[in-house]
Amino acid sequence: MRSSEVSQRPVVTIAGDDVAQVKDIVYAADGGSVLGFTLAGRGLFSGPLREVLPWSNVAALGSDALIVKDEDALTDPAALESDSGGSVGKGGNILGSRVLTDTGTDLGVVVDAIVEVAGGHEQCDVVGYEIESSEALENAGTKVLIPLPDTMAASGEHLIVPASARNFVRKDLAGFGAAVDEFREQLQGRSN
Amino acid sequence: MLFSKSRKHKVVSTGTAETVARVKGFVVDPVTRHVVALVVGKSKQGDTLPWRGISGFGPDAVTVADEAAIGPADEPIAALAGKSNTMLKKQAISSFGDHIGTVTDVAFNGDTGAIESVLIDGEPVPADRFLGVGSFAVVIEAEPTP
Repeated sequence: MRSSEVSQRPVVTIAGDDVAQVKDIVYAADGGSVLGFTLAGRGLFSGPLREVLPWSNVAALGSDALIVKDEDALTDPAALESDSGGSVGKGGNILGSRVLTDTGTDLGVVVDAIVEVAGGHEQCDVVGYEIESSEALENAGTKVLIPLPDTMAASGEHLIVPASARNFVRKDLAGFGAAVDEFREQLQGRSN
Repeated sequence: MLFSKSRKHKVVSTGTAETVARVKGFVVDPVTRHVVALVVGKSKQGDTLPWRGISGFGPDAVTVADEAAIGPADEPIAALAGKSNTMLKKQAISSFGDHIGTVTDVAFNGDTGAIESVLIDGEPVPADRFLGVGSFAVVIEAEPTP
């Protein structure tokens, strides 16, 4: 799912109470996974909360709510800050980064991240980005989806992806999961 | 016994044969999955009839030995009562965080108060999958994916 769809989603306990809502997503410093979420109170006039929700405390990420065991899942922000490379509170420094291939072609600007819960529930992977494509791709200026390798280099300014990622660009989410799998398989094949 | 069918039951005292109150709602404890009390109106005694004060829960009326069974809500019941804990017409979400429908009714045992099933858009879900009810939704344990 697109990470932008996750913000404003309610955080609901197993007891059925909405204790907060997602304000922003906190990404790991390498941009490859979701560390957790910053929170706002529920309701029109409630401002941001001091507490954060680390991914390890999320019981489920559904299409209508994030489920947590109870209110204790919301913890002190220090739990996230150390691993995130300081992206807490800025909406992650991934949005707005330029995607550069390892051969030096600028593919475009990141406008959204595509996340997927992987490996049972161990982590919430960033599997791809939605980018506003540059002239290097067909349909320059339109939004396309680009798959990501498991690991990559990211600086906040640039994200480095293998040049072959260009071959797996998709226009919408349908079939994107398969493109990610194919792309990662191909990368593994190369390194073996 | 269904919530929808017994929501407007008369509460009748078996001692005086008079109608002493009328059922307005149900107080459910999601941990024990029991109806622990009835919210009643039109009684001078109070607005709560604890389940243990009920003599009989029949298809047409609730009977009590004496009007004194009705009183103000005590602490554990007050904590479970209130709008955020009503179940009827509340949305239901699975423990995976997906919307699954609206609670249309709740079936319970008239003798013990035990919840038997939660009806979501008319489809009964066994009570052991009922996890909680709160301000946002009724939470139903998701079926394990095969």
